Amino acid sequence: MALDLTVKLGPLTLKNPVMTASGTFGYGLELKKFCPPELLGAVITKGVSLTPWPGNPGPRLAETAGGMLNAIGLQNMGLEAFVQTALPPLKAAGATVVANILGHSPEEYGRLAARLALTAVDMIEVNVSCPNVVCGGLAIGAEPSAVAEVAGAVRESCGAKPFMVKLTPQASDVVAVALAAETAGATAVSLINTLPGLAVDLERRRPRLANIIGGLSGPAVKPVALKQVWQCASALTIPVVGLGGITSARDALEFILVGAAAVQIGTATLVDPRAPLTILDNIRQWMLKEGLDDLSQLRGALKIG
Amino acid sequence: MAAELDAVITEAGVLDNRPLSAATRLLVLDCPAVARAATPGRFVKLRAWPGPEENLGGPLLDRPFSIHRAEGGQLSLLYRIVGPATRLLSEVSPGAQVRLTGPLGRGLPEALTRRSGLYLVAGGIGLAPMALARDWLASAGGQATLFYGERTAAAQVEESWLKTWAGQDWVATVEDGSGYGRPGLVTEPLAQALQREARPIFACGPWPLLAAVANLARRYSAPALVSVEAGMACGLGVCLTCSLPLAVGGRFRACQEGPVVDALAVDWGAA
Repeated sequence: MALDLTVKLGPLTLKNPVMTASGTFGYGLELKKFCPPELLGAVITKGVSLTPWPGNPGPRLAETAGGMLNAIGLQNMGLEAFVQTALPPLKAAGATVVANILGHSPEEYGRLAARLALTAVDMIEVNVSCPNVVCGGLAIGAEPSAVAEVAGAVRESCGAKPFMVKLTPQASDVVAVALAAETAGATAVSLINTLPGLAVDLERRRPRLANIIGGLSGPAVKPVALKQVWQCASALTIPVVGLGGITSARDALEFILVGAAAVQIGTATLVDPRAPLTILDNIRQWMLKEGLDDLSQLRGALKIG
Repeated sequence: MAAELDAVITEAGVLDNRPLSAATRLLVLDCPAVARAATPGRFVKLRAWPGPEENLGGPLLDRPFSIHRAEGGQLSLLYRIVGPATRLLSEVSPGAQVRLTGPLGRGLPEALTRRSGLYLVAGGIGLAPMALARDWLASAGGQATLFYGERTAAAQVEESWLKTWAGQDWVATVEDGSGYGRPGLVTEPLAQALQREARPIFACGPWPLLAAVANLARRYSAPALVSVEAGMACGLGVCLTCSLPLAVGGRFRACQEGPVVDALAVDWGAA
């Protein structure tokens, strides 16, 4: 049986539904020995800002039950280094590339999108979990109006490039935020980003991260992610890309069952760099076992009532 | 520039996992693929519990360990039980399999003139990389003097075992004066040795010890290499969790540009 694993995100067709989550696969080629990027649906590169960001002091990592907190502080090489040095070899390797972008205002996002519109990136992913410097430091992604502004700025600047907005689970109403992104012209949304958390060292009476607060990822967040993906997929007409604690093909297929068009693998890749490929292979095996020749028969097929 | 990734991911058979102090263990693995490429100061990441995809709980991340020794297809790791993951590792019996990724990171630079010898400075479980460093020096006729410090007698590894690889040229210290060796800090005999002869240093241990070694190196104009430790998720250079500060500003990854770096390159006042 020939399996059709392709996924359409607006005008872009992915080879398969497995992508790497931003920040867990470097700029796409670092782990190629264990996971050739051209075999994946897409590589989502480490988020880039207009200028390089130095990131936070250490410690930046605290393992927690079923997960980990990280406080990297979005350290990155900056837009121009990405475009000049990281992107060309990744495209030459045959990868489908989604460039993740970071900014503090709609204007910054617009400038990032305008530059990337002139490059070979296949898609842009907009991280809206950064503090909004224009609106008092709250995460942009917490407010539908702020997300609409950022998505609108990207829409106006990105030319023909498709873009997805990566939503934060911090929003009090994630569906309202997702709908704001859709209305503003996003090609797709992806969720969830990490959940803010705190880990403390009891004996030292201190936080375990220098930044105090970190982003929780890993299996511990999966039920939260699955619920928010299900809610958004039920409410939106644009594709929803699911992520949050996926470590196995079964996890990935659960996200597709609740309506995800595709998935991203993040923390699992830090544990084992082969994880995205292993998950892809095991999705194929499961489809063969279930007699499915494409995933549309599973997508959104969750039975309620 | 990052080190070329020559690591492999492999299962390794446990040959031995024996106590050398209350909390210290020597794990011996049958692992030719990693042993072949092992050089002093490089490390592996190891998992001795189910992966997250098996949905059985347990620690999420693999744990990094310095390579203690590599010979004849065997790889040994010296580790200390400090938390749940190392406790699980200590319960692994000969015949079991663990998953190994390595060798990782940068060890002692190949260009180091081995014949001029090294002072090997180990604080606590910082003893781990010193055996391979000593073997490597000896193979080129270089002399190694080991300075090994612990806080208490209970923490000290068995003296008879230490002698099996450290030879005659070693000094042990114990802070509370309760065990074998001299009472006090390991930096005291090191400073005396540096005063006599300013040999290059290779040190591994807690951050304050490495900072003190960097100060001594500066005072006695001795080159010093240190193996740094930092909480680490991927070990492969992508997650940026193990980032440490450079003296000139900016940061480096313990797993990629390290773990062995020039002591004077590190900003010891920050973290």
